[in-house]
Amino acid sequence: MFSVRVKNVTKHSKDTVTVTFNVSFRSFPGQFVMLNLPGHEEIPLSLSSPDSVTVRAVGETTEALVNIQPGELLGIKGPMGRPFSIPNGTALLIAGGIGIAPLIYLHDYIIGRGGEVKILYGVRTSEELINHRRFENIKISTDNGSAGFHGNVIDLLKVEDRPDRYSRIYCCGPEIMLRKLYDFFKENKLLRKVEFALERYMKCGMGVCGSCALENGLMVCSEGPVFNGVELEW
Amino acid sequence: MLDIELCGIKMRNPLMLASGILGSYSSSLNRIAENAGAVVTKSVGAEEREGYRNPVLINYGDGFVNAVGLSSPGAEVFSKELKNFRGGCPLIVSLFGSSPEEIAHLTSFFPFADAFEINLSCPHAEKVGLAVGSDPTLVREIVTYVKKSTSKPVFAKLSPNVNDIVEIGKAAEKGGADGVVAINTIRGMSIDILSRKPVLSNISGGVSGEAIKPIALKCVWDLYENLKIPVIGVGGITTWKDVVEFMLAGAEAVQIGSAHFYSYKLFFSLKESLLAYVRKNEPLKEIIGMAHG
Repeated sequence: MFSVRVKNVTKHSKDTVTVTFNVSFRSFPGQFVMLNLPGHEEIPLSLSSPDSVTVRAVGETTEALVNIQPGELLGIKGPMGRPFSIPNGTALLIAGGIGIAPLIYLHDYIIGRGGEVKILYGVRTSEELINHRRFENIKISTDNGSAGFHGNVIDLLKVEDRPDRYSRIYCCGPEIMLRKLYDFFKENKLLRKVEFALERYMKCGMGVCGSCALENGLMVCSEGPVFNGVELEW
Repeated sequence: MLDIELCGIKMRNPLMLASGILGSYSSSLNRIAENAGAVVTKSVGAEEREGYRNPVLINYGDGFVNAVGLSSPGAEVFSKELKNFRGGCPLIVSLFGSSPEEIAHLTSFFPFADAFEINLSCPHAEKVGLAVGSDPTLVREIVTYVKKSTSKPVFAKLSPNVNDIVEIGKAAEKGGADGVVAINTIRGMSIDILSRKPVLSNISGGVSGEAIKPIALKCVWDLYENLKIPVIGVGGITTWKDVVEFMLAGAEAVQIGSAHFYSYKLFFSLKESLLAYVRKNEPLKEIIGMAHG
């Protein structure tokens, strides 16, 4: 473990911020860090760039993290975990809610190397949108119709696109959404092309405690958090 | 050539998964069971127990310091979880509790277990583990109670954080234990020099991994000299040479935990290496305790 200082806190909405560190990690999109907020808990968070995490307040620790000030110290273990693989053609990124965090990193990584990316970004209401104007090729869906397509991101995918024309598809969001996407891609025989970034409660974060084991015995922390569709048994 | 029989349990090799590592779910146990001689589950108590807040584990040069705090879903829930264990190898359920009656009652939840291990040695939980495992009289009483509650073999997992591990081992033997497991983690801690605070939420924890191997080896040596029941060696075993070393010191079987940090295929590679070893040497069961004159 080592410590970093908070350099910057960018507020996206009342409960979502991007915390930038004074250090940039040698990392890949999809990897996470175990971030320890002194006095609170240590939690796994996906990197949203080599030097930041994007986090929504959902519990005690994330609540405190959203209100952190520049200059404060954070404990970091990582970056850890298996990253997304890199596409050799156009990539489709499907995000639900705060699941956009690792996909921001992936988007910038692919664009920075001259690749093409399309994003489908689903949220409940337009207030939850994070920085969506920075993406060029993006379609938004909201559950209440306050912006973009009225409906969820899976319906948007069905009306908007032919997923088979993408070389690789990346999904991150609530597990219920990921499971529906899994079913959809399975039906369309595309699972092999699809990568899912999963989230689990973690204790150690380095593959020994076993608290994040999936139903098939794979460990989300050390063998994920990114899994190819064919590796999952949903 | 690697097969052994430990207190009536037939094992394809002497490599057992140590308690607390990858043992909370059947899915991970099934995976390890493909190559292990036996697996030991995460310790389970009567009631649900949350354990400590994160961070509960920190790695350093030669191993880990952990203070998970015996988190457990409770015996009833855990027995349901273990129903999905496919039986790839013998299953040993690790138990903890604060009194002889409490621990003995736990065995009734796991009729499918091949053996039980009593956790008398967790160094960082209140009222259980080492708290009941450092008093020889209490240890003897606990083992007696647990033995009465089941017909399966019962192992006592001992701690090095006591004045004399042999005394505790003898107490377990007198209580009727079928074997002793040595050692659990050694008390330790870690401090972050930038924030100037202890790293673990519980401040101190237990040290495991390669760093504790010589200590564990000496405990196994002493127990082998003084006890008649089998000794199961655990503590820092990482390579096949470590396995051989522990068996030479007197261990009939070994348990491996922290080294799974390096690979989940550890048991497969250790098994293959040991096969190569026994092709040039005698079967493993014949080298047990050979280092003693």
